[in-house]
Formats: sequence, structure tokens, C-alpha cells
Amino acid sequence: MSSRTSTTEGALARLGFADPDRAVGLIDDRALLPIRSAVDGGQLDDLAAVMGDTADPDQCLLGLVRVMEALGRLDDAPGWGVSAFATELATAGVGRVRVLGVLGASTALVDELVRHPEHWVDAARAERHTGEQVRAELVSAVAEGRGELTAHDALRIAYRRGLLRIAALDVTAADPLGEMPAVGEALAELAEAALEAALVIAREEHGPGHEACRLAVIGMGKTGGGELNYVSDVDVIFVAEPAEGADEETALRVGTALATALMRACSVPTPEGSLWPVDAALRPEGKHGPLVRTISSHKAYYERWAKTWEFQALLKAWVSAGDKEIGLRYKAEISPMVWEAAGRDNFVEDVQAMRRRVEQHVPANEAARQLKLGPGGLRDVEFSVQLLQLVHGRTDPSLRSATTLEALSALARGGYVGREDAAVLDRAYRHLRCLEHRIQLHRLRRTHLMPVTEADLRRLGRAMGHRTHPERAVVADRQASAREVRRLHERLFYRPLLAAAAKLSPTESRLSPEAARQRLAALGFRDPAGALRHIEALTTGVSRRAAIQRTLLPVMLGWFADEADPDAGLLSFRRVSDELGTTHWYLKMLRDEGRAADRLAHCLARSRYAADLLVRSPESVSILGDDNGLTPRSREAVTATMQSAAGRRDSAADAVAAIRAIRRHELLRIVMSDLVGVIDLAGVGAALADLTGATIQVALEVATREVERREGAPVGGDVLVVAMGSFGGRELGYASDADVMFVHQPHPGSSEQEVQARATLVVQELRKLLSGSGPDPGLGLDADLRPEGKAGPLVRSVDSFRTYYERWALTWEFQALLRATPVAGPQSLAAAFLELIDPLRWPEGGITESQVRDIRTLKARVESERLPRGADPRTHLKLGRGGLTDVEWVVQLQQLRHAHARPALRVTGTMAGLAALRSEGLVPAEDVDALREAWQLGALMRNAGVLWRGRPIDSVPSDLRDLDGVGRIMGRSAGEGAALAELWRRVARRSRHATDFNFYESPPRGSVVP
Amino acid sequence: MNRQEEFVLRTIEERDIRFVRLWFTDVLGTLKSVAVAPAELEGAFAEGIGFDGSAIEGFARVYEADMLAKPDPSTFQILPWRGDPPGTARMFCDLQLPDGTPSFADPRHVLQRALGKAADLGFTFYTHPEIEFFLLEQGRDADGRPIPVDDAGYFDHVPHGTGHDFRRAAITMLENMGISVEFSHHEGAPGQNEIDLRYADALSTADNIQTFRTVVKEVALTQGIYATFMPKPFSEHPGSGMHTHLSLFEGDSNAFFEAGAPYQLSKVGRQFIAGLLRHGAEIAAVTNQWVNSYKRLWGGGEAPAHLTWGHNNRSALVRVPMHKPNKGQSTRVEVRSLDAACNPYLAFAVLLGAGLKGIEEGYELPPETEDDVWSLTDSERRAMGIKPLPSSLGRALEVMEESELVADILGEHVFDFFLRNKRQEWLDYRHEVTRFELERYLPRL
Repeated sequence: MSSRTSTTEGALARLGFADPDRAVGLIDDRALLPIRSAVDGGQLDDLAAVMGDTADPDQCLLGLVRVMEALGRLDDAPGWGVSAFATELATAGVGRVRVLGVLGASTALVDELVRHPEHWVDAARAERHTGEQVRAELVSAVAEGRGELTAHDALRIAYRRGLLRIAALDVTAADPLGEMPAVGEALAELAEAALEAALVIAREEHGPGHEACRLAVIGMGKTGGGELNYVSDVDVIFVAEPAEGADEETALRVGTALATALMRACSVPTPEGSLWPVDAALRPEGKHGPLVRTISSHKAYYERWAKTWEFQALLKAWVSAGDKEIGLRYKAEISPMVWEAAGRDNFVEDVQAMRRRVEQHVPANEAARQLKLGPGGLRDVEFSVQLLQLVHGRTDPSLRSATTLEALSALARGGYVGREDAAVLDRAYRHLRCLEHRIQLHRLRRTHLMPVTEADLRRLGRAMGHRTHPERAVVADRQASAREVRRLHERLFYRPLLAAAAKLSPTESRLSPEAARQRLAALGFRDPAGALRHIEALTTGVSRRAAIQRTLLPVMLGWFADEADPDAGLLSFRRVSDELGTTHWYLKMLRDEGRAADRLAHCLARSRYAADLLVRSPESVSILGDDNGLTPRSREAVTATMQSAAGRRDSAADAVAAIRAIRRHELLRIVMSDLVGVIDLAGVGAALADLTGATIQVALEVATREVERREGAPVGGDVLVVAMGSFGGRELGYASDADVMFVHQPHPGSSEQEVQARATLVVQELRKLLSGSGPDPGLGLDADLRPEGKAGPLVRSVDSFRTYYERWALTWEFQALLRATPVAGPQSLAAAFLELIDPLRWPEGGITESQVRDIRTLKARVESERLPRGADPRTHLKLGRGGLTDVEWVVQLQQLRHAHARPALRVTGTMAGLAALRSEGLVPAEDVDALREAWQLGALMRNAGVLWRGRPIDSVPSDLRDLDGVGRIMGRSAGEGAALAELWRRVARRSRHATDFNFYESPPRGSVVP
Repeated sequence: MNRQEEFVLRTIEERDIRFVRLWFTDVLGTLKSVAVAPAELEGAFAEGIGFDGSAIEGFARVYEADMLAKPDPSTFQILPWRGDPPGTARMFCDLQLPDGTPSFADPRHVLQRALGKAADLGFTFYTHPEIEFFLLEQGRDADGRPIPVDDAGYFDHVPHGTGHDFRRAAITMLENMGISVEFSHHEGAPGQNEIDLRYADALSTADNIQTFRTVVKEVALTQGIYATFMPKPFSEHPGSGMHTHLSLFEGDSNAFFEAGAPYQLSKVGRQFIAGLLRHGAEIAAVTNQWVNSYKRLWGGGEAPAHLTWGHNNRSALVRVPMHKPNKGQSTRVEVRSLDAACNPYLAFAVLLGAGLKGIEEGYELPPETEDDVWSLTDSERRAMGIKPLPSSLGRALEVMEESELVADILGEHVFDFFLRNKRQEWLDYRHEVTRFELERYLPRL
């Protein structure tokens, strides 16, 4: 029976025990009796208080009981037996703090101590050993005289003793963040010692003959950087040279055997577990390459074949184990090449691709908990620092450290990164690494995820030193660090560029212009000198404007660099800013309006068309500051704005100039909405048709007034504008012509001849006003679809149309009428015109067989003749095989044949028509899908082509950079240009099949008999 | 530089090689060769040898005009027929665009892509071809017909026969080039020979077939005769096929093998065959790519003109051969439609693609056909659901044109080029007035 202690449930709960009931029971456990008897008065209050200070007091207490039990089963040896342990724990001092600290922090180390209870001494007496000491310890542990243990087991036991020592110092450190680099270094040294010992084992296993090979083990990654985690793969590269008198072939054979045995010695599971996998995949040719190479073979590989990322990996190379002289010779040969990597072709593309890889591959459900991967994760910090090292280390040897934090501080010393920014990142990085260490230490598992359960978070919070609400505090802390790291690229890459451009703070060392140019080039700017000039122009000076730009620009530069044409983005931004810099709202909008700056940067660097429009009237940028700015306005709203603006002008020219300015502004709104992705293809088509319709309507009013003023008499009739083609179908693209026809109708009592003459004047005036040169883009009206084409009168009366259609019209003219939609002019005239054409375009009983033949023949001729010279029918988006025209003709032929009987077909849009053909069962569903896919892809590419280049494209671009730019606007990832070209060919081929069957009625799919 | 490249350069020096031929294949299967001096080879390994792709059949595309041939050092071989040192060697090349990405027009890349897809599913693809060819005298007979070198039959031993010497010389040369020969014998028709290559992964086999055709032609020339892989040079004799045994491996185990199943054929094997049958007509234009190929297929005898499978049925398209007991690893299926004049890279790619499609979609294998398909009437065949292969190149092209599967396997570029080129061939053929017409009509009409 033990005496009742004063450690009650309440007291234990106050100390931090989560399950005081159970703790009371454990404290009374028989196993702890030796301690109790070693303490004056037999009370364990004091000890409980020490446990209460560990990460997990409950686990610590349970661990203590288990270790005591385990020790109790052994002889009570002086120095480490159960009595010595009891005395240690009964005595206040650093020894018991360390032992209990380890027991509270790591269940895996509790298990280890239960297996080898005598090792408590390593924790209690822990001190930092030098790398050489650790190496000697592990090597002697596996050497002869290790007793009954196998060499593998001896290595594992010795390694864990080292680990116990490091953990004991780590968990009891007064300043864990300050201690973090030292812990990482100690872990790396321990790993290197294990590699050395494993090599000793490998040589022993090999037996005589191993001397033929001088093998060096090069540590890579975090091992080479001296910043290892508790649990991590150990990355290495093996280098072998023949020993004196041996030939190369033998040396390589022996070296391969030694390396294989070394890797096995570390990774193979034994009763004592395993250390970690040794990963040699960073070697030349990766997993497919030979495991072991000579120095010259390494060198030859890196000279010829290596990719940029391999040089980045080599930045961490460090001679870790084996033949030191060989290792150093290897370093001396290879290192210089690392620093030339930034001068290689494709460096920029490679780096961008690498960055995308760093940021990808985080499962969505883990993203919030990931410490390592994803934007702003540990790997992002390491990667970004390495990138700057590669870019600037070429000319500045002081940057060539293998360790992330050392490199960061070197970058700050050299002015490559701002001192304050470096300090913030340094702290955030240490903090995230420290969290990672604590999480891994608990079970000695390789994980980079924040835990989720409250108990785990509580332990982690306490391990980080929080005592009140540790589970909440640790999460809040982590979020604060993540916030800082998330602005990493701004801090590391872009802000220093401003310092280079600005002539501020002469005391602080800053990025030299040469270094700034190197960096801009590495970030994807093709004209770094120009970019630097723009940055300088934007940020120099003491004005409020320059001050705001200095905070904005680092972020915006990052956004420019994300896009296909960063230089154009920055240049346009400068031009807009120069124009608007002094207006009160511009910079305020960019600074304060949520996503305005983000959207502006992306639009400018993505689309030359948007940039051109914006540079012409910078004030339109206000669209981005308005909540509803990125929704195209209705036709009515635009019409009202235009009418009111035109009404305020005296002359027709001024009125139409005002209308055109509004059109340009609204066009930009549509473009930006499209680029930002808030409207789809159909939305763009409809918005453009509405805008064009409104423009024509108001300009027609102006033109009518002008003609009446000049003639001194009213026109005497109505004038109607009918939209044709894609305009009539509300499927306009940025590059589409506005096809129209003009109709007039004399008022009763007016002479048809006079009205005809005046209406012609009105139409001529309208076209002149809209297409004439001016500051804003013109709108050309194409009336070639009218009766008699170019030779016919520009405008006709309804009666004249009737006569023409009854007597002379060809079948294709009825086909063209399928898309006719009145867009400007009086309702009554529109109705009269539709009454005329409806029976023509939707003829009763459908068109005749001979008309069908006419249309098919015409189409076949168009295919061979209309295609511009030199154009490839396989890539021409509109007229090529399976292109837009094919799809439109399929729809129109069926409309001519069936629209009379099936009212659903009486639509002007190609997509609407296609949908109707499907629901009416006139075209098989899979053909409808093939046709729709091709039409939409073609239309999207044509639109994206205009946006990207600022002028129309007809074919799939043959230049990969253009393809890439077009693809990005269409929402594809960078670097998928070639795949887009392949996609068009596939989609167009399918569409052509559907056209053959549904238009030409060639045999249907699957009916081909062999 | 990797070790294989080092090995190549060292060998060239030691063996006093003066020229290295860089080999690649155009879309139609013709071997192309660029000779470089050893001094240029280091550069070729590093950057490739540039050439104008638009000059090569099937490679033309504006932005692909500049191409790079990058030698594959694992294919390095010294050419034995070029005699003693100084000698000549060859390597096969991968074709790349100037930015280092593989060319869409390279048949070798088409096969590599298909093999990559199989690897994604966990399979490696092995093939084992039996290549038939005719040995002819130089020149033609009085009627302009080819003259076979002998008059022997299947497995005949011809004393002092030209063919005998020829096969010995050819096999020695092939073995010198590292190509293992399994079997060789005299075939059914006069002058016809067969040589079987040992099974290997499909890419090596395709490389080997290209080498084989060159070696056979070279050896024939040295003996004053002429060798042809034309599928059907004689109306009255069987044509030359290239029956090919296919197998899929998952790691070290044969994925077609299942102990105790009928013919020891696993579900994977059955689905693979089902894929070959269902898509057999679509891929025919690739497996049998010439006008003449269809004269062999429809010439009766053992040629497989119908989409059937069987165990011991020599008229079936796919045959599951008798396997030796306890040799599960050798379970395979034999495709009998291929002819020796195909482009082996494309042909293997479409066979693999069709079979994989069967596996992916879980096709059911139709019942085995035990009868000789040729002896059935049309109605019987129809009743049994037996579908024919295309009857001509023209038909085959029509079926292929509709095939998403073939477009997918070949890639849009090769698909499009192939169809265009072959349609032209078909058109040219139809222009021709044949001997058949002259002999039959001229006297009568």
C-alpha cells in the first residue's frame, strides 16, 4: 500500500494533466516506488510539476511508469540502473527535466526508451557533440567488438541514442526558434555519421577487394544543407574513383556494391526498426542512371545533359561521408557549373515550370494544414531562396551557402533582399520548421501536416511553449507566419527591384542595376533594362503617387510575371499610370478596391487588345473599381447613355465621336469581363451584338437629323437597319464584321424616289460617321449581303426587296436571310420587313431538291475558293475543314428545309439552331456535340487571338509563343500551346465528319462496309 | 554524357569506325539514313543533328521543318556488310523539334507513346515476328514477271539451294548485329523464306525489323539475287506475311496466362483479343498499308481475311497457339494479318492500342471459330456474325477515317498524313490499266 499523496486530481489538472483521474492512478503505480523512496517525504508533487511543464504531461507520466518497469526488469547497475534513475528523478536539476521533456514530447522515443531503458542517461546528460564525435561514436558502434548485435542493429541503436540526445536538448531549449538551425545541423550531422557507419558495414559485407574503390557519399537536399528534419529521406549522390592500381571498371563495380549495401544498411527494417530511406534519385539520369559514377562522368553529364533543376539541387551538395578527398575533388569540379546555370538557355522557362510544380500537387483537403507544399509553404521559401542564389550567386560568391537561412541572411547582407523583409521571413521560416520538427518528433513519422484533433493540437501548442489555450494559440501563430510567407515573392523578388530603381536610402546596400536586370530576366521579363526604366519612372520621387506605387508595384510585378507577356503589361501599366497618376481616384482604387489592381495587372499582361484600348483612354480603368463594372450593360442602358451624350453635342461629328467613345468604354468592359472570366463565349457574343446595335441605333438618329438639316427637309420615310450574319445571330466576335442591310419605307404621301435618295444619304452619312478616323476605334458596316451585292443600291424599300426576292434572288440569299434581325429603326418597319422575309427563309414545304443541290454545290466551291492562298484547311478556324463555316451551313441547310414545319428552328443563332436540330431529332446527338465543340473552340480561339495579339487571327497560330498566349486566355495552363493545336485538329476532324454526314449526306458513321 | 554514349565513342575509336549512319523511319516505314563522321557524334548526342524535315515523307509541317535527329546510343551496332576496318556503324534516332520536344511525325515516337500508355496501365508489350520474304533472280521473265530462285516448298531442304546459303549468311549477319534469330526455313512458295526473330520488347523488335529488312536486301545483293518483302508478288502463290506473336507482361509475369483457363488464356488475354477483333478493320490500313497487301489477304489459303479467332485455325485473324506445358510465360496471341512491308512502329502501336482498348473497356471475346472460314458460305458467315477485313486499301481507308481510336494512337498529324498519302496511292492505282484487264478484255472487246 502506498501512502496517499497530496497530488490530487485538482492539483494535477491545474498542472496541465488532461486526464487527472488516470494520472492519480499512475502516480500511485508500484513502478514509481523507487522514486518515491528516493524523495524526502515520499511525495511526488515536485516531479508532477516538472511533468506538467512538458508537452504532454499524461503521456510523460505513462512513459515514466513504462520506463521504470523496463528498468526494474534489468540488473540495478551503478550509473544507469533503476536506483540511479530514481535518484536522478528525485533530484531537481536539468537531468530530469530533459528525460521528462523527451517522454512528454515523443511517444516514439518513449517506446525506444522502453526497449533500451539504460539510454535515459543519453537524454539526461545530453550535450551537443561535434560532427566528428558523432561520426566516431557511430562508426565504433558498428565496428568489431559490437558483441552479439548485428551491425545493422548496432547502427540503429547508436543512431537513436544520438537522436535522443538531440531531442532532449531541443525540447528543453529556452528559445526553440533560436535553436532551430542548430537542431537541423545536429540532425544532419547524425545522418552523415550514420552514412559513414553504414559504409563501414558495407565494406565489411563486401569483404576483401573493397579497397579498389574510393567511394564518397555526397549529401544533397536538407542533409547537404545541414538543415535536416527529424524524419526525412536522406538524399545522396555516390562518387567513385579507382584506388591506386585498380582499374575503373572494377572500381565502379565495387562502388555500386558498396553503395547498394550502404543504402540497405540504413533502410532495411530489423528488429530495431530502420533509419530512413536513402534516396539516390537526384543522381545523373535519375533512377535510370548508374548508381555510382566517376567524377569525370558526373562532370560530363552536367556539362551536356543536366536540366536546370539538377543544378538547383546541386546547390546543396556537401561531402557527407566516405572518401573525403574524392568528395572534395567532386565538389571542386561540379560547383562552378552550378553558378553558370542561370546563363543557360531555357533557364527562365525551366524556373517557371519548376515554380508551378512547387505550387501544385497539394490535395485540396490538405492545403490548409500543409506546412511544406503549396504557395507560401516551406518548400516555396527554400525554392525562392535557391532561385535568387542561382541568379545572383553567379557574380556574387558570398551567396553560395547550402543552408536556407544562411543564404537568406547573405542575400540580405548583399542587398538582394530588404533587411526587414529578410528578418520577417527568417522568423516565419524558423517558426514553420519548428512546428514541423515538433510534429515529426511525436511519432517519428514523416509528415508535414498540422494535426487536426484537439489533443494533438494541444500537445503541439504546449511543445511550442503555449500554456493558455495552447490548441488555439498554436493555430493562430501558424496562421500569422503563413500570412507573412504568403507575401514571400513580393518580399524576396520584387521589392528589392524597387530599391534598385529608386535612389533612396543610400546607406543601405541595395540591389545593383546589373543584378536587378538579371533578376527581371529570370522572372520572365524579356527586356529587363526597359522594365527597370519603367519601375524607376513609376516609383522615383517623394510624391504621394510614387509612395503608393512603391507599395503597389512589388505585388503587381508578380502578377505581370504570371502572365504570357510581362513586359507589355508593365509598359501599359506605366502609360496608364502616367496618364492618371494625378487623378484622385486612380491609385486609391488600385490600393483599396479589393481585386482592382490584380485584375488590371493580369489583363494588361495577358491581352494586347485590352492594353491598347486602355492606353487610349486610361480613365476607363475605373470599370475595375466598380462592383458592377465587370457586367456588360444592357442594350437599353447603353442606348440611353449614348443618346444623352449625343444630345449634348452640337454637330453630328461631335455627337458620333461621343457615341464612339462610349462604345470603346463599353467594349473594354466586355473585354475585361471576358479576360477575368465572368462571361462566357455566348455572353461575349450577345454583349458585342447589343453594343453594336445600340451604337448603330443612336448613330442612325444622329445621321438622320444631320441629313434633314443639310437637305432642309424631312427624309419622308423610315430607315431600318437589319443585322445579318453573326451580328444577326448575336454571336459576334471581337474580329467579326458587322453585316447589315438597310431598308426604307416612305411615309404615306412621300415620293418613293425622294425618300430613296434621302435614305441613301442617311445611310452614307451613318457609315461615314461610324467608320471615319478618330481617336476611338471605328465600326465598319458591311452591306455586301444586300440584293445584287456591291452593285446594288445601298438601301431599298420593302417593296423593292419584295420584287427582287420574287424575281431574281438566288438560294444563298434566302439562306443569308436566316440570320436577319432588325436592330435599329421603327418597330412597324421591322415587322413589315420580317413579314416579307419569313416566308422566304422558312419556305412552306422546305426548299426544293434542286435548291438543296445548289447550296451544296456552292458550299463545295466556297471550300476550294474562299480559303486564302497559303492557308492550311486543317488549321483555318473559319473556312477550314470542320471550322465555323461548316457548322453554320449544316444548321442553315436544315433550317431552310424544315423551319416551316418546325417552329423551334426559327432562330438566328448557330448554337441555338444546333440545339433545336438536336431536340427536333434532325441531327444525331453525337454530331451535334461534335459540331458545337468545334464551333465553340474555333470562336473562342478567334476571340482569344484578338485579345492576345490585338489583331485577328485566322488560323491556329504556328508560333508556339502565340499559341501559348492564346491558350492562356482560354484558361489553359502555360506551356500547353502544342496541345491546343493538336486539340483543334481533333475537334475539327470530328466536326468535319458530322458535316459530311449532315450537310453532304455522305454515308453515316459505322455504315461503311469493308 | 552517360555511359552508353561513352561506350559508343570508345568503340568507334577502338574499332576504327569512319562513318556512323543515323537511322530513322518515315511515316510509310521507309528507312532513312544520315551519315556523320565520328567527330560529329558527340555533338549529335548533345544536341542532335539538324535536318530539314519538310523533305521527308510525312514530316512536313511549317513549324516542324527544322528537326533534330537524336541518336539512341543503346541501338549502336557496327554494320557487318561494310567489311573490315575501317567500318561503318549505325544508331536509330528519335526525332525532336528544336525545343527538344518529340516530333509528332516520328513513327518511333508514336510507338513510344503507345508503350507509355501501356506502362501507365502496368504493362510491357513484347512481340515476336515471323518474317516472310521472296528471293528472286535479278531481272524478270519474258512476261515481265519475277523469277523465284528455286522451286521448293514448305520446310523443304534444298541441297545446295541458293536459299540455304542465303539464310545462313543472313542469319550470321543478323547475329553479328545482335539480333537473335529463332527459326528459319523454306516457306510454301517457290523462293519464299521465313526467318523468325526472337521475342523482345516492341520498340526493339520494330528497330530489329527495320535492320532485318536492310540486312536481307544487302545479303541478297552480295549473292547476286534480289529479296523482296512485297506482300503478294505472285498471283498463284501465297504471299509474304509477318505473323506476329504478341504478349503483355505485368512485371515479370505474363498477363495473358491464367492456369486452368481455356487455352490458359487470362481475362486480360481474352479482352486483348476482343479488342484486336473489334478494331481489326479500323487498323487494317496500318497493318496492311499497300494496295498489294489486300491481294495477299484475299488470296485465300492461309491468309486471314475475316475477324475471327481460334486455337488451331489457320484461317483466323488471331490464333492462340498451342503452348508448351508449364510454360505459362510463353502464353501469347498470334496476329496473322500483318505483312512484312508494314511500318513496324505504327503497326505495333495500333495493335497494342486496339488490344488495350479491349482491356480498358472490358470487351467480351466472341466465340472461337473452329471452321475454316474460307469454306463457309457468305450466309453462314453472316449468321455466325463473322465480319470481313476490308477488301481493298480504299475500303480500309474509309473505315480508318472514321476511327477515333486510330487517330488517338497515331496522333492527329500522322493520322492525317497517312490518310492523305494512302488515298493518293489508291487513286493512282485506280488509274492503272492492269494486265488482268488487257488479257481478259482486249481479245474480246
